[in-house]
Amino acid sequence: MSKKLWKTLIPLLVFFILLALPVEWFGMPGLTVVEQRVIALFFLAALCWILEPIPIFATSLLVIVLELIMLSDKSFILFKSGAGTEGFGTLLSATGIMATFASPVIMLFLGGFFLAMAATKFRLDINLARVLLRPFGSNPNLVLLGLMVITAVFSMFMSNTATTAMMLAILAPVLACLDKDDPARIGFVLAVPVGANIGGIGTPIGTPPNAIALKYISDLQTISFGEWMLFALPFVLVLLFIAWRLLCFFFPSSQKSVVLDIKGRFMRGWRPVTVYITFGVTILLWVLGGLHGMDSNVVALIPVAVFSCTGIISKEDLKTISWDVLWLVSGGIALGAGLEQTGLAARMVSAIPFASLHPMVVLIFAMLMTLLMANFMSHTATANLVLPLMAAMAGALSGLESLGGAVGLLLAVTFSASLGMSLPISAPPNALASATGMVETGHMARIGVSVGLIGLALTLVMLWVANFVGLL
Amino acid sequence: MEKLYIVCVDDQREVLASVVRDLNMFADWAVMEECESADEAEELMEDLAASDRPVALIVCDHIMPGMNGVDFLATLAADQRFPHLKKILLTGQATQKDTIEAVNKARIDYYLEKPWSAKELEDVVRLQLSHYLFDSGRFSMEYRALVTPSVLMERMQGRE
Repeated sequence: MSKKLWKTLIPLLVFFILLALPVEWFGMPGLTVVEQRVIALFFLAALCWILEPIPIFATSLLVIVLELIMLSDKSFILFKSGAGTEGFGTLLSATGIMATFASPVIMLFLGGFFLAMAATKFRLDINLARVLLRPFGSNPNLVLLGLMVITAVFSMFMSNTATTAMMLAILAPVLACLDKDDPARIGFVLAVPVGANIGGIGTPIGTPPNAIALKYISDLQTISFGEWMLFALPFVLVLLFIAWRLLCFFFPSSQKSVVLDIKGRFMRGWRPVTVYITFGVTILLWVLGGLHGMDSNVVALIPVAVFSCTGIISKEDLKTISWDVLWLVSGGIALGAGLEQTGLAARMVSAIPFASLHPMVVLIFAMLMTLLMANFMSHTATANLVLPLMAAMAGALSGLESLGGAVGLLLAVTFSASLGMSLPISAPPNALASATGMVETGHMARIGVSVGLIGLALTLVMLWVANFVGLL
Repeated sequence: MEKLYIVCVDDQREVLASVVRDLNMFADWAVMEECESADEAEELMEDLAASDRPVALIVCDHIMPGMNGVDFLATLAADQRFPHLKKILLTGQATQKDTIEAVNKARIDYYLEKPWSAKELEDVVRLQLSHYLFDSGRFSMEYRALVTPSVLMERMQGRE
């Protein structure tokens, strides 16, 4: 049988077997029919995200639609028979499931998309890169640092993929001038995906896993855009510095000077200027969240309105929005909501003896597991699967107060999901770097594994510091 | 990953064989179809369209018995079933009038002169397949080793 067929059959088989098993076999006292369906759905989603028989966004949509058909108060008639009887469980609200498509973090991301799209359309990104790279001079090591810092800063507001593509395009003429055997070529190419992956951690809109984390964290306590940056930004800077030293060490340049010459100038006219101002004001409003009373999700919709009304984002541009990314996140939120609202999350936690486990062991295991998953599958899909479990566990785990408690646990796992960058398949930025043909998988693994593991350790240190100074 | 289709049309068997040989390196990503006349190719295109195959590229000679290359490519350019199809005219004997028609009516994407070099053909085909993948929305990272790096970086900008 073909590989593709197996990948399709395994999730389906597991799904149907889990649905058909007698409820007692799960070993969770009091497990209801509805909760059993959630377990089956969770395994279906997990296997589909891991094996990818269908695109990952399609799995998300499947989760939402199956929840509506099998778990909601508007579900198919056969799935509702027995509702209200003992052991059936609580059905989810269909409106609630559908609302995941427009959950506040989705709106936050939509705002981010609009900003990024307008910036790219009016070449704000490339022109900023040109200006910001200049102070780094021509020393190869410093140019490398500049490249990483700028990639990281951009990927905080644009997608990691788009940032990587832009920076690699900027880099192409420089790489062409370098000697074919100069290891710095490898260093330069790798600096971009490494910078993008690390930079994505910096803001709530930097990368989709952050959005999912924000969803679960907001159930525990409010965390503003600025607060996220306050502890994530130092982490990004320190890890970036370490990654830079590692790249200089692994791939030292034999060149004395490297010149990055990007042509172009800032666009003028009322539309580009509107983009510049809206970009600046939106970021300012995000960072100053506490002062004006609007939360970051509300602020995110300001550029959406401004760019639509001014025609900066046209009807055609609207069609190029990555709905797949938004829906991928929606599905994750719906899966988490299913787990929590049916009561399955609470039951799982009570069925597993967490009290006997050392919380640090649980935390470190969860981080390593997440890092491993993120190296082999989509960062967002990893977060979709791991975060709801962590959110359920976080409440039951005591003894992590020195690391920020439940919020600390969620952040640690979220950061881990962004640190998967050892292989070309780990994330689209890595795939782009490998597509240049200048780096081998071994090179990428060397820097990716180092940065990943150092990043995990640094996460724990930063959480401790953040908790110590009272940020969490 | 779905394999793309490349259709090669030339009335001289040895030329056709040589084109296909030069394109053999794309075998992981594309299926090569050989036709010895425009009429044969027309029929093949019907079949491919009817079975929903992604026809990405046609490499076509101009002077052939029956319908000539430029006229054939012009019918394809007007055919709404192949909006993203890339068309390469591979010829050594086109007159200026033919060439003008090739640009204006057949809207060819590349004009390759015979005799061609294997490297040039490879680069051109890679470039055209890359643009086809993005234009048709079929691109996924599985094709990344096929796509010309500069096109990849260009077209991935502004993407999520």
